[in-house]
Amino acid sequence: MKAARYALTLLLCGLAADAAAAPLDEPLKPLPDVPKQDSARVKLGRQLFNDPRLSTNNTLSCASCHQLDKGGADTRAFSQGFDGQPLPVNTPSVFNARLNFRQFWDGRVETLEEQSDKVITSPHEMGSSWDTVVQRLSDDPGYRQGFGAAYPDAVTKANIQNALASYERTLATPDSRFDQYLKGNTEILTLDEKYGYQRFKDYGCIACHQGVNIGGNMFQKFGVFGDYIADRGNPTEADQGRFNVTGDEADRAVFKVPSLRNVALTAPYFHDGSAPTLERAVDVMFKYQLGRMPSDEDKALIIQFLKTLSGHWEDTP
Amino acid sequence: MMNVSRRASLLLVGLIAVVLASILVFLYLKSNSEQTTTYTESRDLIRQIKQQDSLWENEILKARVAISHNYDPLVSPMNEMNRLWQRFDSMEADHGRNDPGKWEDAHGGFLKAMEEKTRLVERFKSHNALLRNSLAFLPTAEDDIQVQLASLSDLDKLQMQNIATDTYDLLLSALEFAQVTSADKAADIEVGLSKLAVNAQRLPADFQTPIKIVSNHIGLILREQPIVNELLEQIEAIPSAERLDNITNLLDLDQQQAEKVNRQYHFYLLVFSVLLMLSLLWLAISLIRSFAEINRINSALQTANEVLEQRVEERTQELKNAQSELLDSARQAGMAEIATNVLHNVGNVLNSVNISSDLIARKLRASKTQGLGKAMQMINEHPDDLGHFLTQDDKGKLLPGYLNQLVGAIAAEQQEMVDELNQMNKSVDHIKDIVATQQSYAGANSLAEPLYISQMLEDALRMNAGALTRHHVTVVKEYGDVPQVMGDKHRLLLILINLISNAKYAMSDLNNRPRTITLGARVVDDNFLEISVKDDGEGIAPENMTRIFAHGFTTRKEGHGFGLHSCALAAIEMNGHLTAHSDGPGLGALFTLQIPLIKVTEDA
Repeated sequence: MKAARYALTLLLCGLAADAAAAPLDEPLKPLPDVPKQDSARVKLGRQLFNDPRLSTNNTLSCASCHQLDKGGADTRAFSQGFDGQPLPVNTPSVFNARLNFRQFWDGRVETLEEQSDKVITSPHEMGSSWDTVVQRLSDDPGYRQGFGAAYPDAVTKANIQNALASYERTLATPDSRFDQYLKGNTEILTLDEKYGYQRFKDYGCIACHQGVNIGGNMFQKFGVFGDYIADRGNPTEADQGRFNVTGDEADRAVFKVPSLRNVALTAPYFHDGSAPTLERAVDVMFKYQLGRMPSDEDKALIIQFLKTLSGHWEDTP
Repeated sequence: MMNVSRRASLLLVGLIAVVLASILVFLYLKSNSEQTTTYTESRDLIRQIKQQDSLWENEILKARVAISHNYDPLVSPMNEMNRLWQRFDSMEADHGRNDPGKWEDAHGGFLKAMEEKTRLVERFKSHNALLRNSLAFLPTAEDDIQVQLASLSDLDKLQMQNIATDTYDLLLSALEFAQVTSADKAADIEVGLSKLAVNAQRLPADFQTPIKIVSNHIGLILREQPIVNELLEQIEAIPSAERLDNITNLLDLDQQQAEKVNRQYHFYLLVFSVLLMLSLLWLAISLIRSFAEINRINSALQTANEVLEQRVEERTQELKNAQSELLDSARQAGMAEIATNVLHNVGNVLNSVNISSDLIARKLRASKTQGLGKAMQMINEHPDDLGHFLTQDDKGKLLPGYLNQLVGAIAAEQQEMVDELNQMNKSVDHIKDIVATQQSYAGANSLAEPLYISQMLEDALRMNAGALTRHHVTVVKEYGDVPQVMGDKHRLLLILINLISNAKYAMSDLNNRPRTITLGARVVDDNFLEISVKDDGEGIAPENMTRIFAHGFTTRKEGHGFGLHSCALAAIEMNGHLTAHSDGPGLGALFTLQIPLIKVTEDA
């Protein structure tokens, strides 16, 4: 059956000759198109995303930490909250976040709407309350008018969340070279990059980092072969991961597997930002997750492959 | 009474019809298929959820046997199920269910099952990923060791063979364990692992790392495979499908009940429709009957109307006849009154005629002509000696003187008688006059003729003269300058006699002051002739003022009540009118007749 399908694919490839090739059947999937969003709401969401009035002391906007020109995150291990104190975990990228099956490192919410609620009302991050936010935005005639036009009711918590989520759903980075490869343009990758992808699969990275978002669709224990956090030292509450959400001992040090899209742009790495470079991150992954020692050559190939995962984003208001 | 009860029963039936119609509408609304639609949609949603659930389980198995390396299909059914459930939930939220307790249980049961299943699946994903990875890596890891072993030449061949076999066995045990997870196999692996650890000590240092890696991975398999198996068992044991079936059963049950109720409603609908039909039929029949009844009554009414009209006409004719009879009798009565007056006046005159004739008769009886006879007798006794006698005889000598005296006396006597006869002649002429006057009025028709109003008034007075004299009534005449006019003598005289007679009667009880009638005649505005009769008698009470001209109204015991009525009629016949005025009882009355003034053309 499978052989027949390959044969058919080959036949089709042959028939199609040099025309746009058929998509490849791989454990990784190309980035899907952004579902259609209400443009008025997206516009409002964009404004809100960049509005520091969402934080209690008007210092932080979403964009303060999720910098779109820096891979949708910032370059710190821990971003600073509204009070200047470092946050417990590293800021994940906002790009392609809609494709994650849960949000946050510990996956404590499922939707982007809930995510903004947690951040705005977090006493570490924005430290605000919905009453304050709704009041502040309602005082702005621009927002009043904008929300009045985009929603049946006025400036409300639900509408603010929806507007932000609508905007965030548009934050996708299509057309990475690897996506083009997956879509059938096999020429776009260099031989080494293809070898890198091969190694990525062979070593079992693919066991967790797979699907449309190359990760972001499951939880995994950080430290399968060895205790990374103990080796790192200074364990914190955040290091308990999903245990903080479920209280289940089996969930200790379990985190959402992050997406590897744009991974080359989002250093430092891991929930604690403890890997400043891609090389270091790959090393840690091999040692603690895969329990294997790759050759330097293979590691380099894999890193080359990871760099093909960077997509493009253009701010199109 | 009959009508009232019929109307009441019609109203009642109408009311019943309205009530039935409302019940029908109510039943129709109640038996509406909304629930059925919800039911179908709900069942469909549950079916879809179940389908997704199976899909999910299918994907779990695929991941278990490592057909698929992509966990996205493990996420999407969950999301899809959540989405479908939310739709189902929001739909059911607007829709009450028969047994909320059971319903809540079924709901809660499914949600709990889903939550548990999600948790287990997430754990399965994590553990399975590790397990698959290690299992996939195991042959490679083993290869690494075998290749390295093969490249060793300085070791005892047999020992090397043993190490290779041990490693191979361990790999096989691990792979077998992955297929048949049992305590025996686990023990085999444990043994293999310790053998490997022992073997490792005999091997050079550069073997340590690959062996450690293999051991780690086999250890992971040993650890993870039971977990994965257990998770799968637990996932399988999650009764999500049963929970969904529960919900479906509840839906079915509800639907069956709803259908039962619906059937009942349909039955009621039928019953009430029949009742409504019957009442409407009854209404229609009664309406038709009422209509017929109305028609019948209408025609009866019409007939009665015609009869009535005829009778009214007859009665009117009778009344007219009676009226004219009355008028005739009134006229006759008037004429009788006139005749009485005339006879009375004639009687008065006859009195003086009688006296005159008595006087003449007496004069004739005591006439001096008898003396002439005696003288002639004495002459006749002396035919021979007449001369002698006349000259000689004592008696005879007196005769010529006597004769002379006699001549004088007879002449005086004759003169007296002529005078008396003249007087009698005059009286007879007066009677002739009276009679002639009466004849000129009696039975005369409406005929305008030239007349003087003052003369008419005098005639009327004369006709009443006897009565007026008897009652000592003074007549004051206030005639204005009235020319000769054209008028209906008979009607005018009728009116005037009546008015004067009334005035006279009105003053019959008046004893404390002189009785006076004031007659007036004048021209008003050069258009009207106004004749007034005023008395100072008993007057007219205000309440009688409006009806004194009415037919049959009278205040006198022997009155007919048509004197003034006929006067008013006569006035109208002359294009005039008769009005009455009184300041009140005891203050006298004034009757005024106004007729158009038609002057007699000069020198016509």
